[in-house]
Amino acid sequence: MANNNSGTITPSANTAAISNRINWRRLAEPSALIATLFALIIIFSILNPRFASVENLRNLMDQAALPLIIGVGATLVILLGSIDLSIEGIMGSAGLAFVLLSANSRSESDFGLLALLAALLTGIIFGLLNGLIVTKVKVPSFVVTLGMWFVGLGFATVLYGTETIPVLTNPEVSSWSSTLTFGAPNSFWAAVFVVILGVITLILTKTGRSIMAIGNNEVIARNSGIRVDRIKITVFALAGLLSAVAGIIAAIKLGSGSPSVGLGSLFITIPAVVIGGTALAGGKGGVLRTALGVLLLTVLNNGLILAGVSPSFQSGLAGAILIAAIVFAAWSQRDRLRIAK
Amino acid sequence: MSNSEKNKTIALSVKDIQISFGDLMAVKGVTFDLYENEVIGLIGENGAGKSTMLKILSGIYKPDKGTIELGGKTLKLKSPEDANAAGIGVVHQEQSLFTNLSVAENMDISVGKTGSSSLMGFYNWAKVNASARQTLAKMGSKLDPRTLVGDLPFVDRQMVEIARAIRVGEGANTKPVVILDEPTSLLEPHETAVLEREISKIRELGSVVFVSHRLDEVIRVCDRILVMRDGELVAIRSKSEVDQNELFRLMVGREAKSEKREYRRQNQGEAPVVELKSLTKKGKFKNVNLALAAGEITAIVGANGSGREELCKAIYGALPADSGKLLIHGVEAKNWSVPKAIKFGFGLVPSERKVEGMVGGLDASSNLSLIFGKESTVGPFIDTKKQKAVADTWFEKLDVRPKNPTLELERFSGGNQQKVVMAKWLKSEELELLILDHPLRGLDPGAAATVNSLIRQAVQNNTAVILLADTLEEALEMGDQIVVMRDGEVSSVFDLHKEQPTSLDLLEKMV
Repeated sequence: MANNNSGTITPSANTAAISNRINWRRLAEPSALIATLFALIIIFSILNPRFASVENLRNLMDQAALPLIIGVGATLVILLGSIDLSIEGIMGSAGLAFVLLSANSRSESDFGLLALLAALLTGIIFGLLNGLIVTKVKVPSFVVTLGMWFVGLGFATVLYGTETIPVLTNPEVSSWSSTLTFGAPNSFWAAVFVVILGVITLILTKTGRSIMAIGNNEVIARNSGIRVDRIKITVFALAGLLSAVAGIIAAIKLGSGSPSVGLGSLFITIPAVVIGGTALAGGKGGVLRTALGVLLLTVLNNGLILAGVSPSFQSGLAGAILIAAIVFAAWSQRDRLRIAK
Repeated sequence: MSNSEKNKTIALSVKDIQISFGDLMAVKGVTFDLYENEVIGLIGENGAGKSTMLKILSGIYKPDKGTIELGGKTLKLKSPEDANAAGIGVVHQEQSLFTNLSVAENMDISVGKTGSSSLMGFYNWAKVNASARQTLAKMGSKLDPRTLVGDLPFVDRQMVEIARAIRVGEGANTKPVVILDEPTSLLEPHETAVLEREISKIRELGSVVFVSHRLDEVIRVCDRILVMRDGELVAIRSKSEVDQNELFRLMVGREAKSEKREYRRQNQGEAPVVELKSLTKKGKFKNVNLALAAGEITAIVGANGSGREELCKAIYGALPADSGKLLIHGVEAKNWSVPKAIKFGFGLVPSERKVEGMVGGLDASSNLSLIFGKESTVGPFIDTKKQKAVADTWFEKLDVRPKNPTLELERFSGGNQQKVVMAKWLKSEELELLILDHPLRGLDPGAAATVNSLIRQAVQNNTAVILLADTLEEALEMGDQIVVMRDGEVSSVFDLHKEQPTSLDLLEKMV
């Protein structure tokens, strides 16, 4: 039988060589994105010199801040193979909770830092609920978080009530987001901090590696002794927390409380995650990739306005460029028999 | 009974294990000891309870009764994590590696808390890589621990699985107990050789429970062999006192009867069903010339990357060739595609049964009528009565169990699923060509015998068959001609009606 002369056969002797070689295909994807980003920057700078001005750069940083913060949470959830659609609802609730507990035009009771903590806790609770329902009741995250989106909006609407608009009265609070530190707006620094934490979590912690493992194959993860439910709940709670952070910053930017403060955030964030190359099926991608995706979309939106593209064409053009970018990035992986649904 | 008899230190002691699922008692009081530095074989038909037994040892199921002792200490295994922490490492039958993580990470991820390379939840990447490299070195492997598992060929993945199981034991500071659940069922013949060498390495480090369907292999690899039947341990034999026939008899409770292939050739002179003329697909296969005659089995053998899977895909229309001709009954096929192939009466039984061959959530009778649905439809509508009648006939013919075609297909055992998948094609009268990609993968000898007789039946009905066999023996037993492929080219063709090559002859042409 074959095995008698086994001495001469070795398992793929060239493996060592393979592994030391740079995997160009894997690098190709982010490089294509970076190239696209630079191409856009150059084109927009030529079309309108104001694009590359310091003022607009700060503008870009401020615009990118919220999608970056939410994007980190969304990336972790998507890496699990789940999805979090409750972002906008949680932003509304947390933002409003923050405004109502800070000094505002409705009441003079200022709880200071406690307001911040309460708002963050609101986000964590919504996130925990998401995670618990997904893992314990075993409802798909799509449905659970879609529901939680509206629960969040509803909660915010109740908080908002029928009185006058609650406006932030402490100028120190309402100007925090746009205040410059080391030349960049605070909102951007907050985003950088969140992104760094996200990268560390994903690459350096056991939880992060478990997220990748669960996204790759949940059954194997369970059988390997990974506490799948606990990790999922943690990630959803974390995503809730980050949505709350984004909600608070959004409320500060607006200068007042509103349930709809997060409106439109989801539809920048999820495409950014996907453009970055994080697979919706889970297990593949990363936080830095999402950051790249957010930058790309922000530059695109901002640049189109500065280039004088009529607003009526803007959303259509942005959408077309989006699809082109995704096709371009995923070109190397196309397969004739691949199923797209 | 080499060294196990001399230094009889008991590594793992299993006492009176019992478990039931509903009315079904799957394991009925199993008791055995596993010595240090011993390889013990566990065999039994599908449903004999050996998978359940393994799941108990690996902490997935909790037994109703009985104890498991490791190194003299009684274990309470509530989860796979507990088993890992105790030093029991499992190599599952199905791939259980994370393809998106590195070799080192895969090895570290299931190690118990004490042996893990993370501190307070933070990864020490240098340590993760170093300890993985160390374990791999013990196994004589030079794999780079930083490689992504998804980039590795299958044999190397198996090495990672084994190294991981050993690492689990190291993490628990005990001699590792490694459970190998049918590790060879997905390997090519020359790869099993590598695996067997790896197993003898583990024997030096700890002990092994080896589950397999291949009796020759069990006898070759194991020191002692446990036979399970109907949930009971019916025999323990040392390898020196047993042969394949006896093991088969103990396993199925009847004598092994081998159906000898009839050496007869039909339809001589007729144009072959399929003829390939210097068919080429860049990077996959080149200049393949081949004729597939009606009523004949062509077994294609070759190592990974030999291009035989791709060649089959090309014939089936799933992979367009770059150049060369594909002739069907002497007429050139142009713009070849899967729908056309099926229209011409081509069938494919894929190797990844669960992924490609069946719709698990759909009931068995619907699966049966997925193709050639005419006999159970009225215009565009499905006639459920006819569908049921067809299903009943085939369930009877193939002895599919349980005899309930309305059950979801995923709830049948592997062997019975395969029968249904094959029946899907066999029920067509006009089946011209049947491509069988590892049809016996994961089947026990009993089910394998049934599937083989189905293949013979198809041949009797004048179907041409392409067989990608699990073993060279299977190819030699079933084939009329054997085509050997190497690096995308046909390196040799043996006509079994004229010559009788040995598996060694085939292997020589493969590598």
